[in-house]
Amino acid sequence: MTLQTLVDGLVLGGLFSLSAVGFSLLFGVLGVVNLAHGAFVLIGGYAAWTLLDRFGIDPLLALPLIMLGMFCLGYAFQRTVIQWATKRASLLASMLLTFGFALMIRNALVLIYSPDFKSVTPAYAFDSLSFGEVTVGLTRVAALVVSVVLLALLAAMLRYTSLGRTIRATAQQEQAAALCGVNIRHVFALTAGVSAAFAGAAGVAIGLVMPFSPPDETLWTINAFVVVTLGGIGSPAGALVGGLILGVINTATAQLVGAAFPNAMMFLLLVLMLVVRPAGLLGNSFKGSR
Amino acid sequence: MKIDRRTVLKTIGTAVAMPAISRSAMAQATDTIVIGGSVPLSGRAAETGLNVNNGYLTAQKFINEELNGVEVDGKRYKIDVRLFDDASDPARASTLIQRHLDDGVQFFLGSFGSNIVLPTAAIVERAGKPMMQTGGASDQIYTQGYKNIFCMFPRASRQLYNTIEYFAALNPAPKSIMFAMANDAFSKTLAEGAIAFGKQKGLPINDIVTLPENITDASSLVNQIRSKKPDVLLATTHDQNSLLIARQLISSNVDVPLLYLSLGPQLKSFREALGNFANGLYFQQFWDERSPYKDAIFGSAQGFATYYHKHFKRDMAYHTASGAACIVAYVHAMKAANSLDPAKVREKLAALDVESLYGRIKFTPEGDGDPLYLGSTVGQVLKGNAEVVFPEASRTAAPTYPAPTWAQKRG
Repeated sequence: MTLQTLVDGLVLGGLFSLSAVGFSLLFGVLGVVNLAHGAFVLIGGYAAWTLLDRFGIDPLLALPLIMLGMFCLGYAFQRTVIQWATKRASLLASMLLTFGFALMIRNALVLIYSPDFKSVTPAYAFDSLSFGEVTVGLTRVAALVVSVVLLALLAAMLRYTSLGRTIRATAQQEQAAALCGVNIRHVFALTAGVSAAFAGAAGVAIGLVMPFSPPDETLWTINAFVVVTLGGIGSPAGALVGGLILGVINTATAQLVGAAFPNAMMFLLLVLMLVVRPAGLLGNSFKGSR
Repeated sequence: MKIDRRTVLKTIGTAVAMPAISRSAMAQATDTIVIGGSVPLSGRAAETGLNVNNGYLTAQKFINEELNGVEVDGKRYKIDVRLFDDASDPARASTLIQRHLDDGVQFFLGSFGSNIVLPTAAIVERAGKPMMQTGGASDQIYTQGYKNIFCMFPRASRQLYNTIEYFAALNPAPKSIMFAMANDAFSKTLAEGAIAFGKQKGLPINDIVTLPENITDASSLVNQIRSKKPDVLLATTHDQNSLLIARQLISSNVDVPLLYLSLGPQLKSFREALGNFANGLYFQQFWDERSPYKDAIFGSAQGFATYYHKHFKRDMAYHTASGAACIVAYVHAMKAANSLDPAKVREKLAALDVESLYGRIKFTPEGDGDPLYLGSTVGQVLKGNAEVVFPEASRTAAPTYPAPTWAQKRG
């Protein structure tokens, strides 16, 4: 495996990590498998495309705005849809409901943006950076930096802030947290908001490096699922490790075995992890993993 | 009047049955030719599906509104194109086609994508109804012995003959050619047919790379190009994958003197996404609105294009023209048969040899387009426009080879 392949794998892994961390958080804290996660990722991508195409705002500058908008969407989604489903039915019902929402969002995107693929192409889209014999596209470097920085910020938030401690406490023991005065519903909604915000950020990063269209939502939900299974549930570190490993395996398989085989290898790994270590590499005792 | 249970049941039964009876009577009286089918208006194939759909609808609109229908056996009929959205799903498309058959539809239009056309063609063939389509070119469709399935394109393995002829005529001659094919039925057959013909022509085809059906990362292909430095890369990939490959080649500064992406650069949105970097890219081009074709319905290829642009906002692609040509072929066959009997219309479709907005329509005995008349030309993006550069008889602009490097395009 060449150094170029390794770097390409890490860049791809960064995207996988960022796109999976929100899914992981929601699964870890609420125990909800959000099958609309890929659709949220795409909303972020389309938002970046709209802001660049219509208003000329660079996707990286638009990132905080998109994350804020997605946070509100995620918060509202939890307080209305998911909460309603989990309260009146079960977690399984929430899975079906989010699947239905994914279909609705996909079709709404077709109606609004047409089924044509979109490509976020800022002025630096075709520039590259070279380190010795390794050359990487500037947008890919930007996507990797965005991924690592945001994952580090999320990890710091969960570890050092009051909100992070509350989220972790709620994830570990919901009733005990409630007895200590934590507003569980609010914490769940905040978690869903953070999850959606990170999905939106992933959409921006993905839009920078590859074209996308509404049917891609399935791909990003499945990728998130594989990353979370590999890395472990509920932690940014798990998502980062899982994503990076998956990215490197992806490019190494394409290089050494054949370009048609990364998906086969990815799912082989998924099956192996489920058999050997179901909690993932950095698995923890969060609700969703028990 | 005494109202008992029997009276109530009779009244309700009549009320329920009346709309169905009157609808059936109306269907007989309105003199329409129903042509049914499904197209992907959502899902992965929706982008081109929408182009095919618009082609079908343009022909319907023009024939009904501008020509007041078509005359068959001394009677005027309106065309009624009934299309469902199959969401790019073969299983769903099969169910929808069966529903059309249950509703008594006699003539069919195809969906887009060989994976969808293949199962639906089997259903239509079993029912003995003709299907005109412009979305399924995989060889599998034309090697089953079907008699009722007709396509506006040659089968995939024969589509790139002109491209191979062009490569063979290049000066300076390429020393190495790399093929990259997506792992789907159409793309693989397209590449395999071209590889076989290329080897027959003595071309130096040194590397063949298979890619996943949906690509999220093309770095392994880029790295292989970087190390092997082929003079020609021919990628049989769909639009979105083609754009990803082009973007990664550009941002990695990896040049290929002749970069051929079978699908993608024919779309305006693709060319706009790459800007100046799109110039020089080669692609498969089947039709151009400047083509000098005459048409019995639209007058000419330009007449069709003008009418389309007047009534539809969406950019036109060659699939739009080939979709309209499917209805034009039906009209010619129905007029020649002087009947709406599906078997007679099928006979006339098989024997069709007419000039149309899309070119000369003529099918092989297996139903796919005759490669001589309906085969693809070689397209190249020049000054942002999609031009035909080969064969010379169809040329709209002279080709550029070798293409300028990415660095030159940056400057």
